[in-house]
Amino acid sequence: MKRKSEVRSRRSEFYGSGIAVSLLAVLLVVVSIVAVMKGAVKIDFFGMSEIEREILFYVRVPRVFMAGLVGSALAFSGVLFQYVMKNPLADSFTTGVSASSAMGAVIAIMLGLGVVIPLFALAGGIIGLIAVYKIASVRGRVQPITMLLAGIVISTFSSATISFMKFLSDDAVSSIIFWLMGGFQSASVKKVAILGFVIALSYLMIRRDYLSLDIICFDDTTAVSSGVSVERLRRKAFFVAALLTAFSVGYAGIIGFVGLIVPHIIRLLRFVKASELIPLSLLGGAFFMILNDLIARTILAEGQELPVGIITSSVGGVFFLYLLIKRKKELYYFD
Amino acid sequence: MIELKEITAMQGEFRLSVESLLLKRGDFVAVLGNNGSGKSTFLSVLAGLKKFKGGYMLDGEEFRGLSSRMRHRIISLLPQQTSLNMPFDVHYVVLTGRYPHTDGRGYRDEDMEATERVLREFDIFHLRDRQFNELSGGEKQRVLLARVINRDSPVILLDEPLSGIDLRHQHDTLDLLKRLSKDRVILMVVHDISLAVREFDRFLFFVQGALAYDLSKRELDEERLSRVFGVKVSFIRHERGIFVYTEGGNG
Repeated sequence: MKRKSEVRSRRSEFYGSGIAVSLLAVLLVVVSIVAVMKGAVKIDFFGMSEIEREILFYVRVPRVFMAGLVGSALAFSGVLFQYVMKNPLADSFTTGVSASSAMGAVIAIMLGLGVVIPLFALAGGIIGLIAVYKIASVRGRVQPITMLLAGIVISTFSSATISFMKFLSDDAVSSIIFWLMGGFQSASVKKVAILGFVIALSYLMIRRDYLSLDIICFDDTTAVSSGVSVERLRRKAFFVAALLTAFSVGYAGIIGFVGLIVPHIIRLLRFVKASELIPLSLLGGAFFMILNDLIARTILAEGQELPVGIITSSVGGVFFLYLLIKRKKELYYFD
Repeated sequence: MIELKEITAMQGEFRLSVESLLLKRGDFVAVLGNNGSGKSTFLSVLAGLKKFKGGYMLDGEEFRGLSSRMRHRIISLLPQQTSLNMPFDVHYVVLTGRYPHTDGRGYRDEDMEATERVLREFDIFHLRDRQFNELSGGEKQRVLLARVINRDSPVILLDEPLSGIDLRHQHDTLDLLKRLSKDRVILMVVHDISLAVREFDRFLFFVQGALAYDLSKRELDEERLSRVFGVKVSFIRHERGIFVYTEGGNG
C-alpha cells in the first residue's frame, strides 16, 4: 500500500507545477488586459469611435501579443541555451547570438529585403552560435567564463559590422538605430501570427525531449550511457534556440537578459525539470515582457515612450551582477 | 551474454586490446590493473562510448546493429566520475536511470515503483527529497549506484563503485550486487586486491592496455599478481578465506 502512496505523492508534485502554470496563466491574462487598456491614447471601451477601434485592434492588441510572444521566445531560447551549454549564464544575449542575428537582419535591411529579415537573422544567429560553441567548448562542455568572452567577441564583431553598414548607407540609418534598441512599435497581426507559429513549432519539437534534456544535465558519459543521443539533441536544441532568437530579433530588435532572468527565477522557485521549466518559462517570459513594455509605454508623461530594451537591460544587468557575485561559486564548480 | 573477438580501441596514444573474452550470466567479475592500464577504457568500449575495431556480440546480437536505446537497456554503466548541474532531488536522479525503458515522453508508474524499491535497497529512501548536489561524497556514490541498478539491465559495468562509501554500506552493496549477479553479468573495477580476492569469482587483469589474464579464483597466484601490480603480493590463507598482504618495492 505504501508503494502506491509514494507514486501518488510524486503525482502531486506534478500537480504542484500544474498550479504554478495556472497561476502564471492568470497573471498573464491580467497583465495583458491592463496592457491593452493602458496607453498613450485613452480608449473609451464602451463607446469606441472608429479611430479608437483602429488603435485598439491594429496597434495595441498586436503590440501586447507581440511583446508576450517575444518574451516567450527569448525565455524559451534562454532555457535551451542553458541546457545545451550546461551553463547558467547562457542566453541569446550573452552568447552573442542576438547580435549576430541582428547583423544578419541589418544585412537584409541594407539589401532592401525587408520581408526576409528573420531568415537573414537566422543565418547570422546560427553562424554566431557555431562560432561561440567552437571557441568555448572543451569536450562538449562550455565553460561559463570562456563562453562570455566568446560572446563578447561575437557581439563586438557584429556591432562593428552593423556600424560599418550604417556608415555605408545613410538613408536606412535612423530606422536601424531605432530597431536595434528593441521594442514592439512595428507590431502587426501578420508578425504576431508568424512568431506565434514559430514558437508553437519550437515547442512541439522540444516537447518530446523533456526527459532527455534533463539527462544532458549530467556529464556526457552518463548521458550517453543512459541512452540519450546527446549530439543529436544538442544540435536540435541549438537550432531551435537560434530560430527563436532570430525571429524575435528580426521583429523586435535586441532585447537583453530576458532569457537569463526568467528561467533563473523559475529554477529558484524549484521548478527544475524540463517538463516544468519550459512551460513556465514560456508563460513567465510573456508575462515579464508585457509588463516591461507596459512600463516602457506609460512611465513617461504625454505619450512618450522608452525603448523596452532599456528597461529589460537595466533590470537584467542588476540581476546578472547578482548572479556573478552571489553565485560565483556555482559557476566555477561545474566539474 | 558478451562475446568479444580481437577488439582494439584507441584513446589518443593509448591502445586497448582484448584478444577474446566470453562473459555469461552469473559472472561476477573484478577488473584489475594499475592506473592507465585500460580498465576504464575497456568499460567504455563495452558500453559503446568509444569506437572500436573487432567483433562484439551482445546478448546474441551484433553490438553495432543495436540502437542506442536498445544497447542501454541491456547495459548500464557507472562511470568513475559523474557531475550534475541541475538541482535535481535524489528521487529524480535515480528515476532517470529508467530512461531507456521509457518512450522518451514520461516515466511510467512501473518506473516509479522500481525507483522506490531501489531507493530502499540502497538505504537512501530517507534522502529522496534532498538535492543530489548537497549530499556527501559517499551518499552521492550510493545514489549513482542506485541509479545504475534501477535500469535493471542484464549487464552492469561499475567503475570503482565503492569509492567513498562507508564500510557498512560497502558490505551491503557488495551483498546486493552478488545477489543480482546470479542472473546477470557484473563487471567491477576494483583497486583493493584483498576485497577483490575475497568477494569475486572471476578476475580480469589489464597490463598496458591489454587484457593480460582472465582467471578464476582457483587460478590466482601470488607471483602473477605481484607482476601485474609491481608490488610484492602474498596470500595468507585463513579458514574464512584468503587474505592479501602487499609490500612496496621491487620484491
